[in-house]
Amino acid sequence: MTDAPLVITENLGRNFPTRQGLMGRARDVWAVRDVTLSVSKGETLGVVGESGCGKSTLGRMMMGLDIPTTGKITFDGRNLAHMPGPERRRLARRMQMVFQDPFGSLDPRRSVGAQVADGLRIHGIVPDQNIKEEVRRLIEQVGLSADAAMRRPHEFSGGQRQRIAVARALATRPEFIVADEPVSALDVSIQAQVVNLLMDLREELDLAMLFISHDLHVVRHLCNRIVVMYLGRIVEEGPVAKVFGTPAHPYTRALLESTPSLHPRNEALGDRVLPGELPSPVNPPSGCPFRTRCPIAEPECAQAVPPLTGPTDTWRAACIKAGPLKHSWNQ
Amino acid sequence: MLRYIAYRCVVALFLVWVVVTSVFLLLHLIPGDPAELLLSQGSIAADPAAVEALRERMGLNEPLWQQYLDHLGGVLTGDLGASFRDGAPVIEQIATRLPRTLEVIVAAALIATSIGVPLGTYAAIHANSFADNVISFFASAALSTPVFVVGTVVILIFAQQLRILPAGGFVPFSEDPLGHIQLLLLPAGTVALSLLAVITRMSRASVLEVLQRDYVRTARAKGIVRKRILRRHVVRNALIPVLTILGLEMGTLIGGTVLVEFVFNWPGLSGYLVAAVDARDYPEVVGIVMTISILFVFLNLVIDVINAALDPRISLVRR
Amino acid sequence: MNKAHRKLILPGVIVFFITALVFLAPILPLADVREMSIPSRFAGPSASHWLGQDEFGRDVLARLIWGGRASLFIAVGSALAAAVIGTALGLLGGFFRGVVEVLTVRASEVILCLPLLLLALLVVAILGAGTWPLIIALTILYTPNYARVVYSATLQVRSLDYVTAQTAMGAHPMQILARTVLPNIMPPLLVQMSLVIASALVIESGLSFLGLGVVPPTPSWGLMIRAARGAMEQQPLLLIWPSLALAGTIFTFNLLCDRLQSVLDPRGITGGGAFWLRKNQRKTVENERVAEPSTDALLLVEDLSIVLGREGRDTELVRGVSFKVMPGETRAIVGESGSGKTLSGLALNGLLPDVLSINGGRALFSTREGAQVDLTRLDEDAFRSLRGREVSMVFQDAAAALNPVLRIGEQVGEAIRAHKEIDDAALDERIISLLRQVGLPDPERRVRSYPHELSGGQRQRAMIAVAVANEPRLLIADEPTTALDPTIQAQILDLFKTLMADTSGMGLIFVTHDLAVVSEIADRVTVMYAGEVVEEGPVADVFERPRHPYTAALIASVPEGDADRLIAIPGTVPTPKDLPPGCRFAPRCAHAIDACTTHSPEAEHPSLDRRTRCIRWKDVT
Repeated sequence: MTDAPLVITENLGRNFPTRQGLMGRARDVWAVRDVTLSVSKGETLGVVGESGCGKSTLGRMMMGLDIPTTGKITFDGRNLAHMPGPERRRLARRMQMVFQDPFGSLDPRRSVGAQVADGLRIHGIVPDQNIKEEVRRLIEQVGLSADAAMRRPHEFSGGQRQRIAVARALATRPEFIVADEPVSALDVSIQAQVVNLLMDLREELDLAMLFISHDLHVVRHLCNRIVVMYLGRIVEEGPVAKVFGTPAHPYTRALLESTPSLHPRNEALGDRVLPGELPSPVNPPSGCPFRTRCPIAEPECAQAVPPLTGPTDTWRAACIKAGPLKHSWNQ
Repeated sequence: MLRYIAYRCVVALFLVWVVVTSVFLLLHLIPGDPAELLLSQGSIAADPAAVEALRERMGLNEPLWQQYLDHLGGVLTGDLGASFRDGAPVIEQIATRLPRTLEVIVAAALIATSIGVPLGTYAAIHANSFADNVISFFASAALSTPVFVVGTVVILIFAQQLRILPAGGFVPFSEDPLGHIQLLLLPAGTVALSLLAVITRMSRASVLEVLQRDYVRTARAKGIVRKRILRRHVVRNALIPVLTILGLEMGTLIGGTVLVEFVFNWPGLSGYLVAAVDARDYPEVVGIVMTISILFVFLNLVIDVINAALDPRISLVRR
Repeated sequence: MNKAHRKLILPGVIVFFITALVFLAPILPLADVREMSIPSRFAGPSASHWLGQDEFGRDVLARLIWGGRASLFIAVGSALAAAVIGTALGLLGGFFRGVVEVLTVRASEVILCLPLLLLALLVVAILGAGTWPLIIALTILYTPNYARVVYSATLQVRSLDYVTAQTAMGAHPMQILARTVLPNIMPPLLVQMSLVIASALVIESGLSFLGLGVVPPTPSWGLMIRAARGAMEQQPLLLIWPSLALAGTIFTFNLLCDRLQSVLDPRGITGGGAFWLRKNQRKTVENERVAEPSTDALLLVEDLSIVLGREGRDTELVRGVSFKVMPGETRAIVGESGSGKTLSGLALNGLLPDVLSINGGRALFSTREGAQVDLTRLDEDAFRSLRGREVSMVFQDAAAALNPVLRIGEQVGEAIRAHKEIDDAALDERIISLLRQVGLPDPERRVRSYPHELSGGQRQRAMIAVAVANEPRLLIADEPTTALDPTIQAQILDLFKTLMADTSGMGLIFVTHDLAVVSEIADRVTVMYAGEVVEEGPVADVFERPRHPYTAALIASVPEGDADRLIAIPGTVPTPKDLPPGCRFAPRCAHAIDACTTHSPEAEHPSLDRRTRCIRWKDVT
């Protein structure tokens, strides 16, 4: 791990104003709000949260695919948000993305090899005569046989496609990878193959990775640090062992408790169920966004958004009653 | 719901304005002097003095914006100018002829929907069966035969060979109700045929798709009777895209009336347009095109409103 | 080359033939189209004039071919010109959105506000009649059509991940348009193209028919019909030839368009109708009631097999599935995609898609009255009386499984009405109490909601209300929590547990791919792989000590333990078309020996209430 983080976001926010009716006023809908985080080389930062918590928007912004409304993203000391097109495209070499849907992330009309070679050509990674060889190396690196390059995506299964997507991302020799739910669409037995592959590559290439997932088991297995998001905001952030072992924020606790486990805990399921549903981002609760479902909410919670402070420098939670609690999930 | 209708009305008004403006621009920005075009016959050049006089009468000598405002004002007050050919106000001709065209359109739409939807549904349920193949073939054939061919062939069969229906013409309903309906039958049927084909095909495709939907399976899983599944779950949902297509087909339908009125000597608005174009009677052409466009926009509005009533998901924030 | 491709041959050949004919018109030995011969006006077909002669005694065949040349030239020419302009506009508008979209797509859509033929008339009124004005008019008319089709296709393609991946890779937008977007919008573009040619033929001939299109003496089909109309009493054949040529050509292009659509966009082919809705579609087997109540189980499934295809070359998707459900028991069926778990569930409610059928085994179900029926032998009507009342289902995707245009109350209500005579007031009361039972907040208001007004969790609750409306004896839930977030999933699982506790004697079959969910909810579990049951037993025992290598590997691949590396199962699930001989898991199994690949293993009983389909269970587990 190097000293300075590779990617830093500061007070990142993304607003998608929606208009209600023809004459209606546009209302702010913040998908992401006040997100400050950093990813260093060789580190995998897991982003967890339920659908609509803004984790995918965060990933897209960090890739420069979406422009933040507020705040800034610094990649290796350079601000990504206001970078002119050509420069941004050059920088694209150093950051790549792996998507969720293995069926939508590959162009059905072009051979796998051509798609892996795109990055090589665009950025002139290797001389033209060596491209074939390099494609073969990449495809073998992700555990497929070299003749895969000649075939079209539809000839592969979901897990194989996801490997191809990884090979394509690796082609430009990136330093930073955003993986948006890369294993959610895969069967359990295949999921493990891809998780193992990502772990190997991280070691081998010293990659910085943002791993977005709703599957807490996978995140815990793969990541060094965790960010828990709720309604666009970070509610807890810290090392895996701390966040999942002794969660400080009541939402993290609820999330862990409601995740089914192979080894059922002693308490009845009913006691672990979090009531209610995610509030609408159009009309979020005042103060702490979680207070409407929080088992330990107090009137004070409605006053202001609790600051993200915490037990230690690297472990922070946005709750006025935050406190590490021994949790049975990670005995 | 009311808000939705209001919203659609605003959009419709905007479209009408767009139509009025584009018709105006089309006529004035295209190279060539309408007055000169009108007065010249073939290769014989027009008398310059006569051209100038006509230009003055048509208001062509005023600045473009002035002409545009006059034109807009005219449209708003119902003054569409006077015909070149006989000097009669264009609006009067339109007022007498529009109902006759509407009559053909409405009759055709009614015939086509009332037969097409059940036929298409039947074909979908029995997809790939013999009956379905027969229905699909005839629908494709009807769709592929231009309306004037159908009209002409229909006259050949019913009027000339079988001699059971008149070949064409018109009597007002008030004078001879039976004769009127007899005369209406062939033109309306001709227009209806291609629309029937479109609706049958569309209903078939739409019902086929709905049959694959999970909610139809849910309805079966509830144990409700076939008839109710068909009515409440299948046809109800399948109608929504069919109606949308009906709206899009209104253009073809109105275009069809142009030819059908010509073929059957039905003195409606569309047939009149052909004569006006032939004679280059610009006030008439503009007036008729505008009326028909407004009618088109209005019919689409009606269909949209029916669609919104059928589909609760349609809301103001669409598009 | 599949069936859809073969179907392209016929229209393709005809289009080629027509094109060749009109293209070669100048060198074919045809009579002069302008040579009149007044004495032989209206002559019928003869050796020198195969199709006869017209009102000026001109050769009809020659005029037909030359007329087709004029018509097709105009139609194809304007369709191509409009395609180029419209595609450019649509691509730019769809890809860049914003101002570009307004300037290109929205602007050209103004033209679509007017009826086509009317616009053509207007343009002709201004430009005059003739071939070139027609081409210009039709090009203007059809450009917005293409722009709109290409625009919406571009929008769709643009949001796909592989286009985003190109952007993320740093490719230039123009490069993305040309290399990735354009090839992927070709299908709708090609379909639109043949559609426009057909439509342009109609408009061109219509205008010519009105005397406002092609100018005589150039022959054209529209003009020929116009002329024949005046003479149809003397010679009806003159009307028939050009009408046939015109309608036939348009028909061919329409056919080409339809078949192209089914080749290029396979999603467009939707199923083969609905056998269950057809009146005369009855199974030949009588609804037999099994005489002796042979078991105290609620449901006893034995050797159930499901095949794809009706007769002959069918593919077996599910083979020899057996399990039973006792009253009050929760049975989980767990497996990966393609394991046949969902099909097994659907088969028990007679809801298999039409292309699938049960070809073996039986499923004995004890009804409320104590009789036993074999669910594999019921016809649609017999099933109808059971569904909802005796056997009920909860589907995976509640958003799709609820009818979008009906209110929640009506959807619950019709389920009740299907089996019970009940007056309106009592029905309303029952609906509200059901919605309250499944934990839908504010049920009095929710009965009037449409599905899209509810959240995902609430929709699943409504779906469950529909399923339990008639207090069924057996509830089959097909992945009911898969699409839900963890906190909502926990709520729904809790609801299932409550329902099971409150309804005495109800059996639950819970189909899922999630082992952790199984351990939370089920009493007994059936593990399926590639269409077969590989292991079966009480949940705690099976997870504690799996007796089949597949179950063991599946458990090891869940990233829940403290192992540094996950145990991944190599390879992929075999497709039903090429199943391995012998044990279906053998190619991926770490413990496979030669005997595993030679013959299919039989079910063995490691203990009284457990089953495994592995010949080596003693050695490997």
